[in-house]
Amino acid sequence: MLDGFEILTTSGVVLWSKSYAPVSSSVIDSFIRDVFIEEKVLPGASVADDTSATQNPSYKRDQYTLKWASVKDMGLIFVAVYQSLLHLSWIDKLLDNIRIIFVDLYKDQLRKPHTSVVECDFDGYFDQQIRELESAAEKNPTRIAQPLLAELTPPSSSESGHEGPPPPLPGLAPGYLKKQQINGDSTDASPIPTPDTSRPSTPAAHILAGKSGPKGGSRRARKAVTNPANVSSGDERKAKPKKETGKKMRRWDADGLADEEDGAVLDYSAQSPQENGAAKSEYISGVDSIDSQSFGTRTTKGQFVLKDLDSEVHSILEGANEKKAQSSSSKSGLVGSSLGAISGLFRNVVGGNVLTKEDLVKPIRAIEEHLLNKNVAREAAVRLCEGVERELIGVKTASFESVETTIRSAMESSLRRILTPTTSLDILRSISSVTSPSQLNPLSPQPRPYVISIVGVNGVGKSTNLSKLAFFLLQNRFNLLIAACDTFRSGAVEQLRVHARNLKELAEREKLGKVELYEKGYGKDAANIAKDAVAYAAQQHFDVVLIDTAGRRHNDTRLMSNLEKFGNFANPDKILMVGEALVGSDSVGQARSFNAAFGSKRRLDGFIISKCDTVGDMVGTLVSMVHATGIPVVFLGVGQHYGDLRTLNVSWAVDMLMT
Amino acid sequence: MTWTDSQSWASSLMGPTPLAVSIAILLVLTIPLFLHLLIYRSTTSTTLPSFLLVGPSGAGKTALLTLFERGQHAETRTSQVPLSVEVSLPVSTKAVSSKYRSVNDPSNQAHKKFLLADTPGHGKLRHHAFDSVIKPQNLKGIIFMVDAADMSMGTSGAGNEPLHQAAEYLHDILLLLQKRSTRSKTSKAPRELPVLIAANKLDLFTALPPPLVKTALESEISNVRSSRATGLLDSGIGMNDLDIGEEKEWLGNGGDGKFEFSQMDEVNIAVSVAGGNVLGADESDVKQWWDWIAGNL
Ligand SMILES: Nc1nc2c(ncn2[C@@H]2O[C@H](COP(=O)(O)OP(=O)(O)OP(=O)(O)O)[C@@H](O)[C@H]2O)c(=O)[nH]1
Ligand SMILES: [Mg+2]
Repeated sequence: MLDGFEILTTSGVVLWSKSYAPVSSSVIDSFIRDVFIEEKVLPGASVADDTSATQNPSYKRDQYTLKWASVKDMGLIFVAVYQSLLHLSWIDKLLDNIRIIFVDLYKDQLRKPHTSVVECDFDGYFDQQIRELESAAEKNPTRIAQPLLAELTPPSSSESGHEGPPPPLPGLAPGYLKKQQINGDSTDASPIPTPDTSRPSTPAAHILAGKSGPKGGSRRARKAVTNPANVSSGDERKAKPKKETGKKMRRWDADGLADEEDGAVLDYSAQSPQENGAAKSEYISGVDSIDSQSFGTRTTKGQFVLKDLDSEVHSILEGANEKKAQSSSSKSGLVGSSLGAISGLFRNVVGGNVLTKEDLVKPIRAIEEHLLNKNVAREAAVRLCEGVERELIGVKTASFESVETTIRSAMESSLRRILTPTTSLDILRSISSVTSPSQLNPLSPQPRPYVISIVGVNGVGKSTNLSKLAFFLLQNRFNLLIAACDTFRSGAVEQLRVHARNLKELAEREKLGKVELYEKGYGKDAANIAKDAVAYAAQQHFDVVLIDTAGRRHNDTRLMSNLEKFGNFANPDKILMVGEALVGSDSVGQARSFNAAFGSKRRLDGFIISKCDTVGDMVGTLVSMVHATGIPVVFLGVGQHYGDLRTLNVSWAVDMLMT
Repeated sequence: MTWTDSQSWASSLMGPTPLAVSIAILLVLTIPLFLHLLIYRSTTSTTLPSFLLVGPSGAGKTALLTLFERGQHAETRTSQVPLSVEVSLPVSTKAVSSKYRSVNDPSNQAHKKFLLADTPGHGKLRHHAFDSVIKPQNLKGIIFMVDAADMSMGTSGAGNEPLHQAAEYLHDILLLLQKRSTRSKTSKAPRELPVLIAANKLDLFTALPPPLVKTALESEISNVRSSRATGLLDSGIGMNDLDIGEEKEWLGNGGDGKFEFSQMDEVNIAVSVAGGNVLGADESDVKQWWDWIAGNL
C-alpha cells in the first residue's frame, strides 16, 4: 500500500497530502534535491509526454520508492511514496489521474498570482481513485497486486474463513465483487490495522449494505434510521462538504464501518468465527438481491451519490483525454494546419504559446548545434537539450517572448545550475580546518597535513597545474611537500624538481611558505611513495602534501586499476583531475573513468581545466566534464605563469557558452 | 431604397440628434476613466512594497511565508523557484508610514499590504536571490533567515559547516548590497536598505540565542572575508580584456580585521538581529519580525 501521497508546488509549499504511515519529510526533501535541483538521477531516454508518471524514473531512498508526475507551467509536483518491497502496478495511473483531476478542479486557484493558498477538499477524489484503481488491478488476476493483497491482509480476516479476495462465485455480480475487494483493501489503507478494525471487511457488513439498500427511501429517512453500513462515504462527503475534513478521511478508510457512530457495525466485528461462517452463507444469498435490485434500478441513495463522484471524476478524465485527441487531430486537417501555422507564427511573436514537441524540435536542434560548436561533447549537449525540452514541453511562453528566447533562457539556467557547485569550494578553509582544527572543541581531531593528489591523462598539464596550485598555497603561507609519484615517465621527476626549485626561489624572495620535494626516483610503486611522503610530512609538520601522479590513458585498464590502491594508500583529502580545455568529445569518457577508478567508496573531488586561455569562448569542456560526473570545476588554468590559476565564475562561463 | 436608407442612417448619426450627442458624451467620459483604471490597476501591483526572504536551505523561509500569509504555517518542502505572496500586517502591528493616520482612515488598509518574496536556499539556486537584490522593485528590506539550532555545534571555527554556509551566503548578499550602494553613489545617495537576520527555530533547545548567532556570524564572515582576500581571482576577471581595471571589492571598511555588522552602516545598510520560531510546541513567535517589517514599511 501507499505510505503517502503529496501534492506540492515547486516553490516548496505542500498543497495537499495524505499519509498512511509516517514518512520523514527528509525523504521528499532529498527527492527534490536529487531529482530536480542537483539532477543526480538522470531521467529516462524518452521525452515524449514528459509529465506522465510512466516516463519519470522512480526514486529510491531508504526503504522507500517514490514515483512522481508534474505539471510544469503550474509548478506542481505529485509524489507517491511506498515501500520498495511492494510492487504497485497502478501507481503510474494513479499519479496521472490525480494530476488531471487536481489541475482541472483547482486550475483557477493555481493560476492566481501572489498567493500560496489553494483551498482544496480533495480527499474524496483521491480515495475514489485509489479504490477504483486498486479494484481494477485486482480484477485482473495476472497483476501482481493480487498476491500482494493477500499478503497484506491482516491474519484475522483469513482466520474468519475469508482469505483475501474470494474466488469468483457463479452468479456474483462483478460490481459486487469489486466492492468487496475495495473493502478488504481500504482496511489495509487505514493507519493502524488492528485485527478488530479489519474484521468489518468480512462479508457480514455487506449483507447489510445489500439488504438495506433498496429499503432506504429518501436520504433523510435513511439518515433517521442511521443504518450505518448504508452510509456510503460518498454520501458523507456530499452531506458535509466543508467541515470535518479529518474525520471524513477516517470514514473513507473503513468505508464508513469504523465510524464512531456506527456502533452496530462494531458489533459485527466482534462476531465469533462461527457466526461469521453463517453470515457468509447469508452473504451469498444476499448477492442476488443486490444484483437484481440495486444494480438494476439504482435506487440506493448511497450508491447513487457514490456514482455521482465517480461520474464527476470520469468526466474530468474523459475531458482531458478528448482534449488530447483534439489537439492531435486538429493538426491533421488542411485548413486546421494552415490556420494553426498562422496563429502559431503570431503567437511566436506575441508569446502565450503552449509549447509542444513540434514547436521545439527546430530551435532545440539549433541550440544543440551551438553547444557543439562551443566544444561541448555531443553526449552532454544532447542530454542538456533533452533536459530543456523536457522542461519546456507544455509550458506557455511569456508574453512577447519567442520560442527561441524561451529556450535560450531555459538553457542558460540549466547550464548555470550544472556549473554551480553544491557546496563551497573554499580550499584554503578546508586546509586550515585540517591543519589547525578548532582548539575550543575537545572532539576535534589532531592536526595533520592536508593531502591533495593530481590525476589525469598524459600531457594535460598535471605538473604545471600542480605547481600553480603550490604557488597559490605558498602565497597563503602554507608549508608544502611536493611528492613526485610519477615513477613511470622518464623526465617527470626532473621536471618537478625544476618547478620545486623555482618555487623555492620565489618563496624565499617574497617571504612565502617553505616548499620541499619528496622524490624516490623511478620504477618504485607510486602508492608506497605517496604513503611515505604523507608520513614524512606529518613528521616534519608540513601543512599540505601535493602528489603528482603518472599520466595515464583513461582506457588503459592496467594503469587505471593502480589508482584504487594509490587512493587507499595516500588517502588524499582531495583528488583533483586535470582536464584539457582543448579535448572534445573524449572529455566525457575521461571524466567518467577517472571518477570510477578509485573504487566504490571514493570519487573525484574536482576538476582543474587547463589551457583555458587557448580556446577563447569554446569552454564546452567545462560543461562536458561536470555534466558527466556531477563533480565541480575547482580551478581553471589560464596561462603559462605560476599566477595563472583561477576559480570558476559561473556567470562568465555561461556568458561564454551562450554568446 | 437601401441606398437612401443607409445614407439617412449615417447622416442622422452625424447630425446633432440627442442620441448621437449622448453617445459622444458617454464615450468622452468613459474612455479616460477606463484608461485610468487600466493603468492604475497594472501599476499598483508592482509598486507594492516588498521584502525579500533569503537564507540557507532548511532555515524555514517558506514556512515563515505561509505563516505570514495565512496565520498558520503550512507544511513545506525544499523550494526550487521563488515565490512572492501578498501579506497584510496583522491588526496589532502598525506600519510606521501610517503612524499619524486615524484608525478609521480607509487608506490604512492599503498601506498595510506588502509583498513577501521567498527564494530557494539551495546552493545551486541562489542566483534567484542575487538577481532580486540587484534589480529590486520597491524593496524595503531583506530578511536573512538562519536556522539557529543547526549552527550551534561548536561556537565557531572550521568544523561548523552550517554556520560557514550561512556566513558565506550572508557575506555574498551584503557584498552585493554594498556594491549596489557604492556604484550608485555618483548619481544620488542610495536609499537605506535594512537587513534583518532572523534566527529561527528558537523553540528547539539546541538553538543558539540571537546575540550569539550574531557574534558567530560576524566572526565567520571575518574568516570568509580573509579567505576571499587571499583566494584566487575568478575566471570572470581579466580573462576578457574588457574589465581588467575592475578590482575586487571587500566587505566592510578595508577588508581586514574583524568584521562587524556595524561596519555596514557606512554604506547605508542597517543590520539587525532578532530571534523567533515559526513552529513550536506551544506557539509560533514571530512578533519581533513583524515589528521589524512594520518599522520598515
Ligand atoms: N522546530 C522548528 N522547525 C521549523 C521552524 N521553522 C521551520 N521549521 C522546519 O524547517 C523545515 C524547513 O523549512 P522550509 O520553510 O521549507 O525551509 P526553507 O528555508 O524554505 O528552505 P529552502 O526552500 O530549501 O530554501 C520544515 O520542515 C519546517 O517545518 C521553527 O521555528 N521551529
Ligand atoms: Mg523554501
